[in-house]
Amino acid sequence: MPSTPEDPDRKKSPWVQVGRYSQLAFMLPAGTVAGYLLGSLLDRWLHTTWIAVVGLLIGTAAGLIELIRTVSRDTK
Amino acid sequence: MPEQLWFTQILNHLFAAPVTAFLRSLHIEPKYASAPISDSFSMELLVFGFLLVIFLLVRSRLSVESPGALQHAFEGIEGFVLAQSREIIGHHSEPYTPFFAVVFIFILVCNLIGLIPGFESPTGVPIVPLGCAICSFLYYHTQGFKHAGPKYLLHFFGPPMEGMPLIARILLAALMLPIELVSHFARLLSLTVRLWANIFAGDLITLVFFSMIPIGVPIIFSGLHIVVAVLQAYVFMLLSIIYVSGAVAEEH
Repeated sequence: MPSTPEDPDRKKSPWVQVGRYSQLAFMLPAGTVAGYLLGSLLDRWLHTTWIAVVGLLIGTAAGLIELIRTVSRDTK
Repeated sequence: MPEQLWFTQILNHLFAAPVTAFLRSLHIEPKYASAPISDSFSMELLVFGFLLVIFLLVRSRLSVESPGALQHAFEGIEGFVLAQSREIIGHHSEPYTPFFAVVFIFILVCNLIGLIPGFESPTGVPIVPLGCAICSFLYYHTQGFKHAGPKYLLHFFGPPMEGMPLIARILLAALMLPIELVSHFARLLSLTVRLWANIFAGDLITLVFFSMIPIGVPIIFSGLHIVVAVLQAYVFMLLSIIYVSGAVAEEH
């Protein structure tokens, strides 16, 4: 995902920061669970058993990447 | 017959037969044929009707010289949402503001309606936050497509890697595609679970303390529930703004 164009004159309100950081705790578990659910759906559709595990790993990676992105964008 | 709120009973009494017929025409068998309308759906309809009446009332009384209290209140909310979206998206945020304002007001009223005896928060049932999250999900992807056209799909292949050999870029894109797809679905999940869990827990805590100490103490938890209701409506709106800003942002 691209980063939002940062305008140096645009002030950041503390409420936006609170909103942004309150989602940090959700990112990792949400990514993991979403990956697992999507993998399970694909497993059921394709009659396989391994996609859920791959989905779990991809979901964990996705959660971690999203977490790093948010933190690195705000600490620039 | 399940236990129903009074408003759901009225709706089921009036519309059970046509609703059941409609569901059956879609090959959906309702759990209770005589009561196909659930509490959460009836409460959503009530909130929808309430907001429609309020908006029509405000619209009919719009005045530049002497704005009424209701107009002041809604102008305040609109100004607040506009300020938030301008801060995150930038100066071109005006076209998106109506959606954010509606999401905020709808979820706020849905969260708060549960505090009135005889009513229930529809957001305390997972399907309602999921519906709101799907609206938000579809909205930011639609706006992304409208803004960037088919180039929006490049968002799903990770950041642009200029200067890298083509084969490495293709490999990286193949790796990033499932990760990006999962992370977009994770947003759907996190929006749903956050709103549902907070409102469900708020309702439950108020109920538990009300059953233990019915005098005084529940007021504290009702107050806390109001704070949580406002905060969660705000967070839902804020995350929708952040997702739209990501979808309509220019590549640098």
